[in-house]
Amino acid sequence: MMDQGSVQRPATNGWVKCNVGAFRLEADWEIEPGQVLVLFGPSGAGKSTTLRAIAGLLRPESGHVEIGGRVVYDGGDGIWIPTHQRRLGYLTQQYRLFPHLKVAANIGFGLRDRGSLAGEERIGELSSLFQLDGLGDRYPWELSGGQQQRVALARALAPNPEMLLLDEPFASLDAELRRTLRRELRAMLAHTPIPVMLVTHDREEALALGDRAQVINEGRTLVTGDPLEVLGQPGQGRVARLVGVENLFDLAVQGRNPRDGTMTCVGPGLRLEVPLDSNISGGESPEGAEDRVTVGIRASDIILAQQELSGSSARNQLRGRVVSVESRPPGYAVTLDCGQPLRCHITGAALEEMGIQGGQLLWAVFKASSCFLVDGIRPPTTANQQ
Amino acid sequence: MGFQMAKLNSVNRFTAHPAGILGGGGALVFVLFIGLPVVALLVRAAQQSDFLEAVTGDVALTALRLSLFTSIVSMGVVVLLGTPFAYLLARNDSPWLRVVDSLVELPLVLPPVVAGVAMLMAFGRNGLIGSGLEDFGITIPFTTAAVVFAQIFVASPFFIRAAKLGFQSVTKDYEDVAQTLGVSPWGTFFRVTLPLAGPAMFTGLGLAWARALSEFGATMMFAGNLTGKTQTMPLAIMTAMETSLDSALALSVMLLAGSVLLLAGLGLLTRRRWQGQ
Repeated sequence: MMDQGSVQRPATNGWVKCNVGAFRLEADWEIEPGQVLVLFGPSGAGKSTTLRAIAGLLRPESGHVEIGGRVVYDGGDGIWIPTHQRRLGYLTQQYRLFPHLKVAANIGFGLRDRGSLAGEERIGELSSLFQLDGLGDRYPWELSGGQQQRVALARALAPNPEMLLLDEPFASLDAELRRTLRRELRAMLAHTPIPVMLVTHDREEALALGDRAQVINEGRTLVTGDPLEVLGQPGQGRVARLVGVENLFDLAVQGRNPRDGTMTCVGPGLRLEVPLDSNISGGESPEGAEDRVTVGIRASDIILAQQELSGSSARNQLRGRVVSVESRPPGYAVTLDCGQPLRCHITGAALEEMGIQGGQLLWAVFKASSCFLVDGIRPPTTANQQ
Repeated sequence: MGFQMAKLNSVNRFTAHPAGILGGGGALVFVLFIGLPVVALLVRAAQQSDFLEAVTGDVALTALRLSLFTSIVSMGVVVLLGTPFAYLLARNDSPWLRVVDSLVELPLVLPPVVAGVAMLMAFGRNGLIGSGLEDFGITIPFTTAAVVFAQIFVASPFFIRAAKLGFQSVTKDYEDVAQTLGVSPWGTFFRVTLPLAGPAMFTGLGLAWARALSEFGATMMFAGNLTGKTQTMPLAIMTAMETSLDSALALSVMLLAGSVLLLAGLGLLTRRRWQGQ
């Protein structure tokens, strides 16, 4: 990868191994300039530790860290550039605006020429870019949460860093503000041709901001790829559970229809049409022994109907009784008993219109392509391994 | 029934606000207990005809000068050495440092007279290291240096404790963020940590200074009572008491005024323009 990459683009990549108490982290990454890599995982997965290792706030056991083509750490060669010489922007979820400094002084904190005219100009430029005009003389506690976040971002970008590290930058904001600021950040990052590493455990955030997503758990990288593929229809069981795929079924393959590109899978009380697996091993599988698959369906891909839909293209129609209705802002989560519990997300308007309540009989409708295989196909012998 | 209800209600009011009743009473007692002697001192001093004379007298001015000089020197030493030490205590949590930490607070509970005797055993002419120092021609006991030693011994815990708490209140994240912004660890200390811990440190400095100015027992034992050399204000007051109450009163008022001014001045520096998050 270096042979092609080193032609033009300065590399921002690396790997580290860290021990923090009993926790062991083994992370590696590669980010193109201007790209946002999302580190996605539950808390305690090692996301923040990775950021801290890149920032030099934590000394890894071994590793190699390159920022914009400059080696800032190499365990083997004994290279260690301290944090303040790494040229990074680092934003944490608490922002940590300096409480004894006014907004302008906070933004200009990292500027060498903050006292000069050029420094003043840079602060003014960033203030208007981040819609902070007229707030320069306020103290951080006099600002709203959104304004504080903008100040923190302006402060991080002021010294023109070579890389931006964002550690759950929206975690302490309410949902609506989060969406607004996320859009702003997206627009901002589009103008910033530096690599960005964003840590989050929010799937929506990862999908909205990430050019690439890397799922990590318990200190290990599980998968790296396109955010929609990795987080939308994750192909690995562990990843699927981490990103919160609402419906996962363990099924047996009953028959394959290569002409339609689907196969029929059955489980206790359940019969689904799902996409045909690509690495086809079946077909020739011995009679009597069935391949087993894990099938995932996102709750938001399911349509609820009061009657069976006749003449519809959807390959799956399941009948079930409503077991529970839970509020899940902005909508509701309805669980149907279709032999196995099936979770569906619908809007409040739909809930009201259909008058959904416990015990009601409903149809769940979804396309075969809304189903995805998790962990691929498993031969019958490994059916019980999970 | 109605009577009982009323009684219950009044009982409730009592138990609901014990701070109001008991606290108010306590406040009154303490204001009188502390205020009365201070007022008495001022009243008696004002009745004195030769108050100004006593205040501007040789003995008073010499003692005042010595008190100011020694306390400024000892506070300088305490701040210069105590600040980095307090920072170390705040940022590390090794068992070894915890032992050191409690040792530093020992002077708070040690009677000053005992401290004086102990210092004599260490730095005295026949003391543990005092005899060695003597060989180099260095004598500490019964010199002005001994006054400074005694003041540092008794007053430093007030500053170190406060500074440690001040540094602990500055989350390490602030320092981390400052360094990612390209500011060196030293720059971070002076531009972030010190300003944020400043108010706590000034509070500690005020207490330590007041303690140093009032130091008596250890000074008496270790430095003696030599006019112009080791006789600080408190010692001068005691000496004056033996001959003339009037001059003792005058000196007391001076020391009182000095302490109040010091506390007020440092109180101004302690006030913050900003709030935490």
